[in-house]
Amino acid sequence: MKITVTINGQKYQRDVQESQTLLGFLRADVGLTGTKGGCGAGECGACTVIMNGEAVNSCLVLAVEADGATLQTIEGETVKGKLSPVQDAFARHHAVQCGFCTPGMIMTVKDLLARNPKPSRDEVIHGIEGNFCRCTGYQQIIEAVLDATGQLKESDKEGLKYV
Amino acid sequence: MLHDFSYVAPTAVDELFTFLATHGTKTAVFSGGTDLFVNIRGGLSAPDYVVNLKSVPGLSDLSFDPKAGLSIGACVPVTRVLNDPTVNKKYGVIAKAAGELATHQLRNRATVVGNIVTASPCGDMSSPLLCYDAQVEIASAGGSRIVALKEFITGVKRTVLQPEEIVTRIIVPTTYAGTKGNYLKLKRIKGHDLGVVAVAMIATSKVIRVAISSAAPTPVLLPDFPASASAETIKESARKAISPIDDVRCTKEYRAFMVEEFIDRLHAEVKA
Repeated sequence: MKITVTINGQKYQRDVQESQTLLGFLRADVGLTGTKGGCGAGECGACTVIMNGEAVNSCLVLAVEADGATLQTIEGETVKGKLSPVQDAFARHHAVQCGFCTPGMIMTVKDLLARNPKPSRDEVIHGIEGNFCRCTGYQQIIEAVLDATGQLKESDKEGLKYV
Repeated sequence: MLHDFSYVAPTAVDELFTFLATHGTKTAVFSGGTDLFVNIRGGLSAPDYVVNLKSVPGLSDLSFDPKAGLSIGACVPVTRVLNDPTVNKKYGVIAKAAGELATHQLRNRATVVGNIVTASPCGDMSSPLLCYDAQVEIASAGGSRIVALKEFITGVKRTVLQPEEIVTRIIVPTTYAGTKGNYLKLKRIKGHDLGVVAVAMIATSKVIRVAISSAAPTPVLLPDFPASASAETIKESARKAISPIDDVRCTKEYRAFMVEEFIDRLHAEVKA
């Protein structure tokens, strides 16, 4: 089935198998391998992309459902070599270790900040509950988000002592 | 890539029902797909056809009528219910449970109707909907029928739904609208998890209604209690109604214990 999607501002037209997932489409059909596949069950959030303004698990969406959709993926975050504010904060706070969860985590945070530009620490924790990170223990990620939104206090910098 | 199936996106209700009348037994309908695609990947479901209800007009309404009550269409995602001011004001326990369901990403896709049709004993939407006496509208080429939610779910992942039928919407009458109550869910972790056990309770000046999830093959609605009923009376009734099991998430003893603990907490809350 032929589908047309706009990914990070660029239009793509592809013939996809009807049983292809959006995740498989992005990685195999389009070649955008930044989005990762983890559990395949909506638990880990590694495959999170933003579809028509909403964060979704791309492993649980069919590619054909995305026909006509506007998608944002991790590849759209860095523009002309400049990291997005969230990416930059993740880098500065060592919020990345193995990096496998990072693309999904960053897309989830981007969506969270679009809905809630100044989330509290608790709101950040609640907001990323659909994204597993098995390396960082989340501290650095939470602090990166608070910093990216100009809210990080000295007393919040618990995670840095482990860096 | 999932197992090979044909994708069908009907653009009219008649087209959908005609298709189901012929191919219903080999078909899985979906809206959010958050259960279906997990099941297909896990080999629990292998449909020849997968039908997207989102392409059918008229299934995405979320509306409130002072007489008819709340109508939740088949394709209304949980996020919409969670953020709806009327649901929050008049059916607060539904909104509370919607917020407890899975994660933001999943709530953006998963639907309230899908949560009921999946008929998992631990589905978050069933207990509050049972408390509010929700009705399920079922339709097929032959017409439509209304079934009380308490009759709709018949066992673990079993419902009265036939292969040629779909649930078009859930209707929540106004009988208990605006009453106080809450939904308490026990999870293994603070983040998202399937419920180990959950209890919903609402109370009017005349009656207390209680429903329990994850403690029997189906969600359980207890008989109505008078508003003066003690927590002990409710717990005694609950003990007779539930049949918890041991599984990977918890023991049956802990489930039984937490049902009673939640009844105590909820009873204190609605009496406060």
